[in-house]
Amino acid sequence: MEGVAKDNPRAASLPLVYTPLPVIGMSPEVLDKFIAGNDPQTGKPVIDEIIEVLTKPVKVKKTDSPPPPPVKATTPELFLKKDTEDNLQQLFYDKGWTDGLPIILPTEERVKKMLAGTNAAPDDVAVESFDFSTREVIKYTVRNIAVIAVMAGAKPEYFPVILAIASTRQPAIMGSTTAFGTMVIVNGPIRQEIGMNSGIGAFAPLNQANSVIGRAWTLMSICWGYAKPDKSYWSSQGNNHNYNNNCVAENEERSVWEPFHVTKGYKAEESVVSLFRGWAFLSTSGAAAHRSVGEELNIQLAVMPPLNSAATIVMDPLVARELKDNEGFNTKQDFARWMSRNIKMPAGQYWKTDYIDMLVASEAYKGVEPYASWKKLPDDALITPYHNPDNINIIVVGGEKSPLWKTSTYGYMGSASIDKWRVKKSNK
Amino acid sequence: MTIEVRFSVMSPEAGVHKGTGGFPPGMGGPPGPGRRPGGPPPGMSGPPLAFSSFAKRLDTLENKTVYLVDIGFGGGYNFMLQLQKWLAKNMPSVTTFVKRKPGMVFSDDNNDLWEEVKAKGDAVVLGVAG
Repeated sequence: MEGVAKDNPRAASLPLVYTPLPVIGMSPEVLDKFIAGNDPQTGKPVIDEIIEVLTKPVKVKKTDSPPPPPVKATTPELFLKKDTEDNLQQLFYDKGWTDGLPIILPTEERVKKMLAGTNAAPDDVAVESFDFSTREVIKYTVRNIAVIAVMAGAKPEYFPVILAIASTRQPAIMGSTTAFGTMVIVNGPIRQEIGMNSGIGAFAPLNQANSVIGRAWTLMSICWGYAKPDKSYWSSQGNNHNYNNNCVAENEERSVWEPFHVTKGYKAEESVVSLFRGWAFLSTSGAAAHRSVGEELNIQLAVMPPLNSAATIVMDPLVARELKDNEGFNTKQDFARWMSRNIKMPAGQYWKTDYIDMLVASEAYKGVEPYASWKKLPDDALITPYHNPDNINIIVVGGEKSPLWKTSTYGYMGSASIDKWRVKKSNK
Repeated sequence: MTIEVRFSVMSPEAGVHKGTGGFPPGMGGPPGPGRRPGGPPPGMSGPPLAFSSFAKRLDTLENKTVYLVDIGFGGGYNFMLQLQKWLAKNMPSVTTFVKRKPGMVFSDDNNDLWEEVKAKGDAVVLGVAG
């Protein structure tokens, strides 16, 4: 962790003392050993260093005072040095521009073809991002994103979806020690026009558009510096959902409910991409054979404390039909409200969850409800952690071969119009 | 005869517009109530700290008041409790308070604790864990 602190200009000058990792979850006896034991960075006793930092002058090192300004990167050449395909594939890998899989080399001709897939001008700024190495805000043009779309293997007709994803300014890969996963849902006419899969095996590696569009989002994050281990990326285990970010289309045709984008205020005829992020993502291993779907979901979600009441359920059309026709849930919102009221867990289980304590306890201390009231409850009192049905997302995906679903605590990150990036019909 | 085909390809880093002026709206920080995650990790999102010296150090901790402040990251609070016990046992003249800093782990929402420390404290140990 010393390297992380030294790389951060806001922390590099501070007098820091380190203990072994992890600290979280350690017993008092282990923590006592950490305090009396040695700092792994210096080899000196931790407690001696703490006392020393408080009682002896601490000088700001010349090299740290003030922290050096960000180093401006030189503008890279538009074209790389000509080379063989093998060497270029290796170069892209060595530069950290790939997900480890081979890429399609972004020749000028391929990029030009990709640019024909959008109405936007090549030099239009599509998104602003942040460069970790130089700490500068970077504006990426439509052409920059076309290069990445080619690398991912996209066809020009996929490009508006990729531009829409980029426009959200959401990275596929997060700078966290945890393992965030992501999901991309596409709604509207473009799903069928570009051949996205919303049916059998929609989440499987079977469909070009699903695979490539999701991959392009990750390549953006990788190429823009979000995945440099120990520099901008600290996830201990990582998340292989990031290979294509669970990119699928909603099966609007077979759903008994309104499409997801319509629940977010878009018109049904609009093409829209929606993004989700979170930690827990569970594929059910069996149908609701002896309990209702709601009871099954209750069991699953009751062990996944949510942030901000967020859950995303992706269900086969068969499940949605069962819920509507046989259980009376006429809308997605009806079922979300049922889940919100009925999914319960003990308050102690909720508050003793690491990320809940870290990210939600402060809301309770500020008096924000319902957290403030939950904080006062005994450990065994039941709370409804999915208290806000508006944050429970329901999406219908699947091929109607089995009434299964996927349960997650992924939160909705936002949606973006695809149509604004599409070639106008009169221009075709 | 082997023909070696060489490709001319575009750089994924080329032609971007660089500048300063802060982060795009909505970037920075982890998920949380009322907040969407995205952007650079916390702590990356501000300018470098500009200072030339630290606060004057104490001559001794004897009879002083030390605040042991947990920022809210996992494990920090329990560590501070054990540090408090160590000080109570080994330096009994030191008064300690274990506190959790205001606001979410990555940002403060008020200065109450820091004002209290200035008024009543002599030193602070600020803890991060994980």
